[in-house]
Amino acid sequence: MLDRDLVAEVLRAARRRGGAFAEVYVEERSSTSIRLDDGKVEELTTGVDRGAGVRVAVGTTYGYAYSNRLDRDSLLQAAEAASAALAGDAPGSVVDLTTREGHGTNRAERQASDVPAATKVGWLREVDDAARGFSPEVSQVVGVYGDSLQRRLIAASDGRWVEEDRPRIRLVAQVVARRDGNIQTGHYGPAACAGVEFLDRFTPRAIAEKAADRAVTMLDSVPAPAGEMTAVLGPGAGGVLFHEAVGHPLEADAIDKDASVYVGMIGERCGSELIDGVDDATIPNGWGSYDFDDEGEASQRTVLFEKGVLQSFLYDRLRAEKDGVPSTGNGRRDGYSSPPIPRMTNTNILNGSSTPEDLIASTERGVYVVNLGGGQVNPASGDFVFGVSLGFLIEGGEVTKPVRGANLIGRAMDIMQGVDAVADDFDTWEGVCGKDGQSAPVGSGSPTLRISKITVGGTGA
Amino acid sequence: MPDLRELATAALEAAREGEAVEAYAQEGRKTEVSALRGEVEGITTAASRGVGVRVIEDERLGYAWVADPSPDEVRDAVRQARDNAALAEPDPANGLPQPESFEPIPELFREESAKVTADDKVRMALDLEAYTVSRDPRVTKIDIAQVGDSVSSVHIASTSGVDAGFSRTDAWGVVVTLATDGDETQTGFSYRITRGLDELDSHPLGDEAVDRGVRMLGAAKPPTAKVPVILDQFAAMSFLGVLSATVNAENVLKGRSLFADRVGEAIGSDLFTLVDDGRILDGPGASPFDDEGVPSGRTELFRAGMLQGFLHDTYTARRAGDGQRSTGNASRGYRSAPGVGTTNFYVEAGETSIEELLARAEGGVLIQDVSGVHSGANPISGEFSIGATGLRITGGALAEPLREMTIASTIPEMLLGITGVGDDLRFFSSVGTPSILIGEMTLAGV
Repeated sequence: MLDRDLVAEVLRAARRRGGAFAEVYVEERSSTSIRLDDGKVEELTTGVDRGAGVRVAVGTTYGYAYSNRLDRDSLLQAAEAASAALAGDAPGSVVDLTTREGHGTNRAERQASDVPAATKVGWLREVDDAARGFSPEVSQVVGVYGDSLQRRLIAASDGRWVEEDRPRIRLVAQVVARRDGNIQTGHYGPAACAGVEFLDRFTPRAIAEKAADRAVTMLDSVPAPAGEMTAVLGPGAGGVLFHEAVGHPLEADAIDKDASVYVGMIGERCGSELIDGVDDATIPNGWGSYDFDDEGEASQRTVLFEKGVLQSFLYDRLRAEKDGVPSTGNGRRDGYSSPPIPRMTNTNILNGSSTPEDLIASTERGVYVVNLGGGQVNPASGDFVFGVSLGFLIEGGEVTKPVRGANLIGRAMDIMQGVDAVADDFDTWEGVCGKDGQSAPVGSGSPTLRISKITVGGTGA
Repeated sequence: MPDLRELATAALEAAREGEAVEAYAQEGRKTEVSALRGEVEGITTAASRGVGVRVIEDERLGYAWVADPSPDEVRDAVRQARDNAALAEPDPANGLPQPESFEPIPELFREESAKVTADDKVRMALDLEAYTVSRDPRVTKIDIAQVGDSVSSVHIASTSGVDAGFSRTDAWGVVVTLATDGDETQTGFSYRITRGLDELDSHPLGDEAVDRGVRMLGAAKPPTAKVPVILDQFAAMSFLGVLSATVNAENVLKGRSLFADRVGEAIGSDLFTLVDDGRILDGPGASPFDDEGVPSGRTELFRAGMLQGFLHDTYTARRAGDGQRSTGNASRGYRSAPGVGTTNFYVEAGETSIEELLARAEGGVLIQDVSGVHSGANPISGEFSIGATGLRITGGALAEPLREMTIASTIPEMLLGITGVGDDLRFFSSVGTPSILIGEMTLAGV
C-alpha cells in the first residue's frame, strides 16, 4: 500500500523525541451495503475509505494522529503531531522493516468484490420472499446485506511490517410480525470474515426463516415473570453474557485503571469449575479473527478460565509492556481514526458434558433464553443488564410459553459462580461491540448452560 | 487542496440530463487529550474529509462515498452512485429538496476556541484529573478524564440549486470516577458540552462525577415495591433515545412506531412537552440547515401530552404526502445516506424545583442511572424492562443507595404517569431533559 522507505521515514520522524516505539497503521476499506425495506431496495451504497494513523508511545502515554491523506507531507505532518505528545529530545531508532507472514486465517474462496451488485440485491429479495412466505402474520421485513474488504499495513520502529486483508460479509433479516394490535420483532444476522461462500452455509432463505420464526413465535408471548430464578441460556447466548459481563473486565485497560472486579485475581477461583473460557482470534473465518491484530502482533488463543480459575487478561502492546508480559494479540482499533485498545476477538465458553435436553429436563422452573438483544456492563462493579429478545418459560422441566420484555440483571462474579451445568452443543453469535467510542466485530460462543439463580426483570407477575 | 465547495460542485458537473445529483462534503479537525495518574494518557489529533453523493434517476436512488477525494474521484463517485441507482426500486418519494433561504447562525463558530492551544488542552486534562481525585478520600482513581474540541465544516450542493455551507466548533469534557470502599467500587459520570474549550469550566464536572460515584457506595438491593420515582437528568436522557425512534417519521411510515396514526391523541401527562429545535443554542445540535440543505426549525412532538406530529426529512415528507413538509431533520455523515435524525431534542422544562420534586416523592426513589434501554425497550410495542440504580428519598432528601433494581413498564404508561417536571433542563450532547417525577412505578428488587 505504501513504499517501505516512505514508511521508515515517517517512523523516524515520529521518533524524533524518542519514546518506546513508533507505529504507522495504513488502511483502505472498500464496502458495499444494501438495504431492502418494505419490499424495496432502498439504499445501495458503495464507499472507499482510506487513511493512516501514526502513534508514538512511552509507558502508557501515547500521541496519536491520523489523516485520510496518504501523501508524504500529510504522513510526516501526522508523525510530527503524534510525537508532540512526548517531552523527550533524543531521537529513537527504527529497525529495518521486515515482513511478518500470516497463516491466512480469513481466506475468502469467492471475493465479494467479484460478485455483481445485482446478485447481492437478489439475496435480499430472497430474504424478503422467504420471510413473507413463512407466515401471513409477517407484516414487515428489513434485509441488510454488507460486505467489505479491509486492507491493512502495520509497521513499527521495532521492525515489524505486516500486511493483511480482511474480508467481511453479513446478511441480516429483521422481521416484524403482527396479530391484531400485537407487534413483535425477530432478528437474525450471521456474519464472518469470509467471501460470499459464507452464504452457502447460511442461505438467505434460512436466515429469513429464522428471523420470521422468532417474530411469529413472540406473538404468543406472555409478559416475563420478575424476580430471582434459574436461567438456561441456549447455545451462543451464554457467550454473549460471558463477553459482556466477564470479558470486558478482563481487558487489560480496565485492569490497569483498577476499574475491574478481576484485578489481582489471576490463579484464583472466580467461577464455577464447569467454566472453561477462551478468547480465540485464530478460528478460521471467525467474525473476530485475524492473523495479526491492529498492532501487528500475531493472533493467538488465550485461555481465560480453566475450571473456573482465572488464567490471563487480554493485552494490547501498551498494557503488556507496562506489565512486562507478552501481548496476547488483542490490540484492536476501529480503523485508522482510532488508537488501538485491548479488545476481545472471539470469546467462547467451551463445551461441557451435559446435554441440553437433560439440562432443561432437570430444571423445575425458570427462563430459557434463546437470544439476547444486547446488554451492558460496568466493569468496575461487575453489574450488568441484558435484554432477552427471545425467551421462554421453563415449567416442570419443559420449555413452554414464549416470554417478552425480560431482562437479566446481576453481577459478573455471582453468575460465574452460579453456573451449575454446561452442555455440549456449542454455537456462536456475531456482534459488534462498542467501547470508548470504537466499534469492533466480535464473536461470542457457548453451549447451552444453566445459571442456578439470576434476577429476571419482567412485566409479569 | 480543493475546498469543500469545489468538491461538492464537482459532482454536479458529472450529472447527466434528467438526473438529480447531490453532494455532501464534510471536513473536520479534532483534538482529544486524556489524563491518567497525573500524566497525559493520550493525545489524539485528527484531520478528515470526505464526500457522499446521491443520484436519483427515474425515481431510483443510489449512493456512493469516498474519503478525501480529488474532484475527479468525486465525479467517479457520481458514476458509481448512478450504477447503484440502476439496481434500486423506483420510489416516487425519492427526490431532492428545492433550495430555501435560511438564517445563518454565526454563534456556532466560536473564534476564541482556536486560541486554546494543544498545551492548554493538556493542562486542562491534567487539571481535570488532579482536581477530581482531590475531592474525596474514596475517589483516588478515575477511569476517564478527557477534554476535546473540534472544528468542522459542511458544504452541500445539488442540481436542484442547493449551494450552502457552514462551519462550527464544539468542545467537551468528560469524567468517570472510581469510588472505592473496601472491595466495593462504584463509578460516577459527568459530561459537559460547550462551543469552545475556553468556555468549559471543568471543576463542576469533577465535583459531579465524584458525588455521583461516592453516593452509590454501600448500595443494596431494595424490596420490590410500587413507589414514586424521580428520573434525574441522566436517567431521563436514556429514555429520549427510545422516544426519538418513536417520533421518527421513517419508523412511523413503515409501521415501526407505536405512535403511528395517533397524532392528535392525548398520550402523555399534560405536563409533558417534547420538542426538537435545530435553532436553539442551548444544545450542541443546532445548525442553520439540515444535511440536505433544508432550513432547521422547531418541531413540537408532544404539546401538553398530546401527540403533535413526527420528524421528517425530504423523503419521508414526500412519502407521507398530505402537504407534509420536511421538518429539517435529515441527518448524515459523508459515509452514510441521509435518514431522519434529531437536532436538539428535549423535554421542555417545567416549573418545579428539584427540592419540591423530592418532597413530593417521599419514600420513593431517585433513579440516577438506567441500563439496557437500547436493548430492553421496544420502540414498536413500547414495552421496556431495564436495570436501574439510584437513591432512596427520605424526608425530602436523598438517602441510602440502591442497586440491581429493575423497572418494567411501557412508554405510554410512563408518559401518562408524569406528575412533575423539574425546572432544571440540561443538555447532554444534543438531547436534553429536566428531572421528571413519575407518580408510581414498580421497582423490582428482592
